[in-house]
Amino acid sequence: MADRIFSGVLFLVTLAYAVIAFTSIKAPFQYDPLGPETWPQLLSVVALLCIAHVFWRPDVHDAGVPRMMWVRLGYMVLLMLAYAELYERLGFVVSTMLYAGTASRMLGAKLVNAAIFAGVAGIGGYLLCSVILDMNLPFGEWFEVLLSSGE
Amino acid sequence: MDTIFSGLATGFMVALTPFNLMLVMGGCFFGTLIGALPGIGPINGVAILLPIAYSLGFPPESALILLAGIYYGAEYGGRISSILLNVPGDAGAVMTTLDGNPMARKGEAGRALSLSAVASFIGGTVSIVLMTLFAPVLSKFAVTFSPADYVALMVFAFASLASLVGKNPTKTLLGALIGLMLATIGIDANTGVARYAFGIPDLLAGIDFLIVVVGLFGMAELLSLVEEQLSGRLKTLPVDKSFVRWADMAKAKWTILRCSIIGFIIGVLPGTGASVASAVAYGTEKRLAGEDGKLFGTGDVRGLAAPESANNAAAGGAMVPMLTLGIPGSGTTAILLGALLMFNIQPGPLLFTQHPEIAWGLIASMYVGNVALLLINLPLVGLFARLLLIPQHYLTPLIAILSFVGIYSIVGNPFDLFLIVGLGVFGWFLKKMQFSLAPIILGFVLGGLFEGNLRRALSISGGDWGILFEDYQSLLLYGLAILVVVGPAYVSYRNRKAAKLNA
Amino acid sequence: MKFTSLWAAPFALALTVTAASAEVNSPECVAPANPGGGFDLTCRVAQTGLEAAFGTPMQVTFMPGGIGAVAYNLFNTTRTDDGNAIVAWSTGSLLNIATGKYGEFTENDVRWVGTAGADFGAVVVRADSPYQDLEDVMTALTGDAGSVVVGAGGSVGSQDWMKAALLIREAGGSPMDMRYVAFDGGGDAIAALLGGSIAVYTGDVGEMTPHLEAGTMRVLATMSDERLGGAFAEIPTAKEQGYDVEWTIMRGFYMGGDVSDADYQTWVDAFNAAYATPEFAALQAEKGLLPLNLAGDELTAAVAENMATLREIATEAGLIQ
Repeated sequence: MADRIFSGVLFLVTLAYAVIAFTSIKAPFQYDPLGPETWPQLLSVVALLCIAHVFWRPDVHDAGVPRMMWVRLGYMVLLMLAYAELYERLGFVVSTMLYAGTASRMLGAKLVNAAIFAGVAGIGGYLLCSVILDMNLPFGEWFEVLLSSGE
Repeated sequence: MDTIFSGLATGFMVALTPFNLMLVMGGCFFGTLIGALPGIGPINGVAILLPIAYSLGFPPESALILLAGIYYGAEYGGRISSILLNVPGDAGAVMTTLDGNPMARKGEAGRALSLSAVASFIGGTVSIVLMTLFAPVLSKFAVTFSPADYVALMVFAFASLASLVGKNPTKTLLGALIGLMLATIGIDANTGVARYAFGIPDLLAGIDFLIVVVGLFGMAELLSLVEEQLSGRLKTLPVDKSFVRWADMAKAKWTILRCSIIGFIIGVLPGTGASVASAVAYGTEKRLAGEDGKLFGTGDVRGLAAPESANNAAAGGAMVPMLTLGIPGSGTTAILLGALLMFNIQPGPLLFTQHPEIAWGLIASMYVGNVALLLINLPLVGLFARLLLIPQHYLTPLIAILSFVGIYSIVGNPFDLFLIVGLGVFGWFLKKMQFSLAPIILGFVLGGLFEGNLRRALSISGGDWGILFEDYQSLLLYGLAILVVVGPAYVSYRNRKAAKLNA
Repeated sequence: MKFTSLWAAPFALALTVTAASAEVNSPECVAPANPGGGFDLTCRVAQTGLEAAFGTPMQVTFMPGGIGAVAYNLFNTTRTDDGNAIVAWSTGSLLNIATGKYGEFTENDVRWVGTAGADFGAVVVRADSPYQDLEDVMTALTGDAGSVVVGAGGSVGSQDWMKAALLIREAGGSPMDMRYVAFDGGGDAIAALLGGSIAVYTGDVGEMTPHLEAGTMRVLATMSDERLGGAFAEIPTAKEQGYDVEWTIMRGFYMGGDVSDADYQTWVDAFNAAYATPEFAALQAEKGLLPLNLAGDELTAAVAENMATLREIATEAGLIQ
């Protein structure tokens, strides 16, 4: 069943890919033997055949994920999306501390330990990567606004 | 020959001054650290540290030696997170996860790390020796490789991937197709038409390879870890004090030598680098192993040694067209080329006559760098392996933090962060449905090369498909492709027949 | 706000004449192609020529894809106010804007900063090619346009293609009969020429400088109005050889449309200061560029004028319907 649902979704996405390849990709001025549409057309046809085969003969019947697990995995994904969203706004240090603390706590770390881990990851990470290795990490838009208005 | 040896002597005089020696060591060390971060490989490692090297005001040969050290260090470092976390440190280290991570899960992280360090060392050294001896000849070969030959090379690469077929061949093929389809996103270089970008500017350039690797591997692995952890199925990995054994080396010696040569040759070709080299090497070795091939993917020493020797050999090979023709053979050498130009040194046929101290100093520093890396890496094996002792509830978030650092620091675009999370969810579903992720990555790498060169070849011939089978290089590659697919099947058929006769 | 800015700022103050309030602390030149081609060369001029202005080395980054379209879109959507980055462009980019290849954005959506100089089209063959002069190529093209495989670093409809199309037209053929192979950037195309995959490369004069010395390729003609100096003094123009084909390439830099006036002025001043030095002229000569020094408003006006001409040629060649 799991295989069927997944391949069903994959089928729809690939079908959309195929429709675009066959209808809307066109070069305005081109005389090469193969245009920009040929390759995607070819790929989409073979992919649709493969997906149909998986749908016909599924070999994974149960994903083995209980309902509670879906919720918790969803929570983890949301946490990462929030981390991505806040990365530039709050800067590396603060957003990483928030993420590291929440995620490790969720995975079973003690409150104190999670806080220590958050501090080490955020501040230590910034010192190592941005100060020593001079890598490009966000300082935090909100802090930049605060700093520049203070000048 | 004489010029080569006197050149090398000049080079070692430059590379072995205490100051330059210190720079090589330093570069190798920081390179290893940066390379170990998921996503950041040699390309970005060198790009990130290039301005620093320049601003320190060293003479050109010293700055280049430092950069070459970083380049090699990052190439070595890529394997560390592949083995320990199942998250490739860079593009060339994707295949390293296949056997490296299972070894770590068996408690042999130390053995895997030290074996791969030795394989990397041999791969790197073999390729530098080949480069020193044959660079001029090879650069001539590299440019004669026409678009039609690249098409043949892609066919060969896909054929050697056939060995990766898992339980369900349809799913493997589908995986490769998903990779190929992902690669069509973005502006078509031939006609300038945007495909599947839906007006999103961040997609116009296509999806960066590193984003696909970190997303599909890193983020998906993270979700799997969370799942195992919350369901209580995850045990802390045992870490013993294992180390590479002579028996391992004896078993893998031919693999390492063969893969060093395969990697070097693929590295020399402009446009194909460590990722293609390691994939072809892994596929070929699995096929050559015959019945033992079944052990590949479960923590076989040869399966680990093959991609590691090949990707380091490719790194050396890529230097050939850059130094001799001024044409970069890979993304990283493009950056090194930029570094040369920054010091007003024009690489090309005249480099060796105009700036022998730089050309030979760089080559000599590669010899030194490889030795340095082995010396740095072997004692550190124990330290890196202890990373696995970090409790899972810290290690799992750490994967996300490291991946974010790696991806964000490349171009500083937050859109990429959402992309890796999205690809991670997709990758997790694929894993649940028992897809293998390696074919997707390889489809993605090979996709652009395949399509671009096929179209170029047909433009050259004016639409005549015959051009694909015109010269001996193409035909040789097609021959090898058939051999790789049919050969092992034939061997096992004969074995079965022989077994029947004996019974 | 990177760590570098802490020590870079005093440098910038000490070394620039005019950039008193230098916000530009990590200057970057984006070459919108793979390394080794014309955009790379353009960025090198800025890198060396403006070194004194910022006191910190300019980073050259590569953003291949769509022959500059990717970068143009990026700087019109996400990095519109990045005061640290300039992007290399050439007449070819203007042509792409004219033909709509860069999407909805026009020449009025970015800020034109300065030029690196002028370059000219070049007809290049491998050292051992049977074609000895431009006439040989033109004769072959007249006989059967499809018999000569021409290649360059730009897609169909780009300026590299235009150079080839102009040649074919002069030979009496139609661009539609041409056998043209597009590569992503001049570096790949040069490799293909050296390897014999293509017979004629319609490249630029500037990128040929290092290769001329090496003797691996021959330039049959420059597509300039008059003979060039320096290493190219020996090479006849197409016009001299009796073919009225000319292609001048303006090379320069643009910034995003929302860059602050202060940052924009910092760059314009930096360019003007550089133009005044003999070192910049020497640098241009070394890179095979002719002096064409325009910055700020002057350049913006020149671009507008150029666009009108290009729209005309493109309509003629059938690129704009």
